[in-house]
Amino acid sequence: MTSGTIAIRNVSKRFGGHQALAGVSLDVGAGEVVVILGPSGCGKTTLLRVVAGLEVPDRGEIWLSGTNVADAGRNIVPPHERSVGFVFQDLALWPHLTVRGNLEFVLESRRVPRAERAARARDTLALVRIEKLDDRYPHQLSGGEQQRVALARALVARPRVLLLDEPLSSLDPELRATLRAELAQLHREVQVTTLYVTHDSDDAAALDGRVVRMREGTIVDIGQDRTKSRAADFP
Amino acid sequence: MRRPQPARTAVIGMALAIFVVCAVAPVAHLLFASLGDARAVYATVLLDARQRGLLYNTTLLGTASALFATAVGVPLGIVLARVPLRGKALLRLALAAPALLPPYVVGLAWVYLGSSSGVLHALTGHDFLSTWTYSLSGAVLVLAVVFYPLSMLTTEAVMRRIDRRLEEAALIDAPLRSVMRRISLPLAAPGILATALVIFVLAVSEFGVPGLLRVRVYTTEVFTAFAALYDFARATLLSLPLLVLSAAVASAAAVLFGDRLVTSRRRTGLVPLPLVAWRRPARVAILAVIVVALGLPAAILFGEALGARSVAAALTGSGRAMMNSLTLSATGATVVVAVAVWLGYARARAGRRAGQAADIVLVVLFAVPSTIVGVGLIGIWNRPGLAGLAYATDAMFLLAYLARFLPIAVLILAAAMRYVPASHEEAAAVSGAGWLRTMARIVVPQTWLGVATAWVITFVLAFGELGVSILVAPPGESTLPIRIYTIIANTPASNVASLALFQALVILAPLCVLAAVGSRWALR
Repeated sequence: MTSGTIAIRNVSKRFGGHQALAGVSLDVGAGEVVVILGPSGCGKTTLLRVVAGLEVPDRGEIWLSGTNVADAGRNIVPPHERSVGFVFQDLALWPHLTVRGNLEFVLESRRVPRAERAARARDTLALVRIEKLDDRYPHQLSGGEQQRVALARALVARPRVLLLDEPLSSLDPELRATLRAELAQLHREVQVTTLYVTHDSDDAAALDGRVVRMREGTIVDIGQDRTKSRAADFP
Repeated sequence: MRRPQPARTAVIGMALAIFVVCAVAPVAHLLFASLGDARAVYATVLLDARQRGLLYNTTLLGTASALFATAVGVPLGIVLARVPLRGKALLRLALAAPALLPPYVVGLAWVYLGSSSGVLHALTGHDFLSTWTYSLSGAVLVLAVVFYPLSMLTTEAVMRRIDRRLEEAALIDAPLRSVMRRISLPLAAPGILATALVIFVLAVSEFGVPGLLRVRVYTTEVFTAFAALYDFARATLLSLPLLVLSAAVASAAAVLFGDRLVTSRRRTGLVPLPLVAWRRPARVAILAVIVVALGLPAAILFGEALGARSVAAALTGSGRAMMNSLTLSATGATVVVAVAVWLGYARARAGRRAGQAADIVLVVLFAVPSTIVGVGLIGIWNRPGLAGLAYATDAMFLLAYLARFLPIAVLILAAAMRYVPASHEEAAAVSGAGWLRTMARIVVPQTWLGVATAWVITFVLAFGELGVSILVAPPGESTLPIRIYTIIANTPASNVASLALFQALVILAPLCVLAAVGSRWALR
């Protein structure tokens, strides 16, 4: 069973004179949570973007669910065909669409039948407990509510892989603690393979996943696997 | 608590007084004069079938020009914002050039192309376009060529300003084409729509092209009533519907633009999402538009000018008009910028609501058709006493330039000054500098490119100004646009084309310099 696995093979990425990633390799099992921890500029966001297909690796390969989706200098599978959900650091909610509109854009793009869309959107909003806000626009929401919408949007298409790029960084400490717990609970419910990028070790502790430490474009430490990932799942 | 600053109050107050007298008073005077006889106004606006025909023609000209210009400008703007192309700065300049030419110069090229004695007839032996040359459709085509760069440049600006993360978030789920259609274009839509409205206003305000192509619209009718029939009252009444139409549409555009009127590109540090696959079709489209909108008119005018027995003689015959245009435009641009600097500063430092209200006033005043401004200026200055001293002198040209171009110069300078942080002024104040010294040594030097841009744009607009100048010109005085417009009917086309080419060169030269300086500065 390879659905939802991630295999990063010796990936390098350079921006001008800056080596963002230098030969990074990492395997993530189906349903596993991996927290990538490191200081600003260490390459953790770039790694997430390469997995999503928003950046093309200069060297190395990316495998998702047993399929080679990118290798040196090219995306073999475009981002929208990789079955990933992405929560951006600044959330990137589309300001001209309502909460429901943000979710429905994803469902329409993934060709979910019209009859199913409303129910899927409603269920996902209920999952993150904002079902009553479906007709609001992003600017009418609080920071925590916006964060939940971004999470709902990333999950509504039932992706095999969820990528979170410092999703809690803009929130106040109290709200961060609440949402950390909710994210952990949410992962137990949906069991989606998750790569979570942060520079906050409290996030890492709360999510109960494997912790990977990065520095200057390389992985310096891979923590103990506390989930059920299986080496045989990786290509 | 903010320290009272008498120097600031005095200088800005003085600039505001000049603004009110020169830019607001002519329009206000005309408005009150036209409302003086309510019954006549009612009959003019609603009951007269002739007026309804004028309103229909005017609205059709504005709507069709705006739609056509937007249809050409939006794809080009997307291309400039997102497609990686070599020599983009040069391509942008070539694509924008038609907007910098006086519309009647492009109209002249159109007449030389399509009329029964035109280039097309001479080359093919067939008379394809002559019935279409002097028509509303011809005017729409010419105005679309002149105004598409406005839509193009706005679209480029708004497409560059879209947060790349919003598009990337959509790319996770949808292909690029769908992302552009569903996310990028809706985000850019308010800016694009606002520019379409501005183009509408500029098209209905245009006098030279409909006049040249014999299209009956409000601007030409106002001119005829005043200059041919000497009926000031009729000219005033005819101005009212056009004034209301322009003001309403310009207000809507200003509201749609919102704060973006005085805010330039947001710097997120992220390069906008590139459309690499569009490179080849983009190149073909750009070249096609440059050939049709710039190359063809230039080639037609050049070809006509070659027919002149002596280009030098043609130019010499209009030497006085040329010198007048150069000196008056340069003086006018300097005076306009000298006033606009203070008002731009005041706008940049105004609160949100006051700033938005000011933007609406500025856009509406810029949108007031030139013939209306001309009639308003005459109403104010053509009277005995102190005011009358300026009338029948070259000062009327300067008053015309202040009335027409002060609003746009204020907007340009407000956009530039908004990027000088208030803390810079506070630091100077703490150091003991007075407000005037702070402005001269801290604020204005940081906005020199904005000041230069405002001066060049005002110079270019003043050099091509026709609608007001032709109404307020003192007896015996002329500028190049007036000279060209008045000799079209009774002078060989080769001479007129020579003058139009000269005018185009004078306009494009400083803009090329400004573009070169601007791009070098941006690189630094």
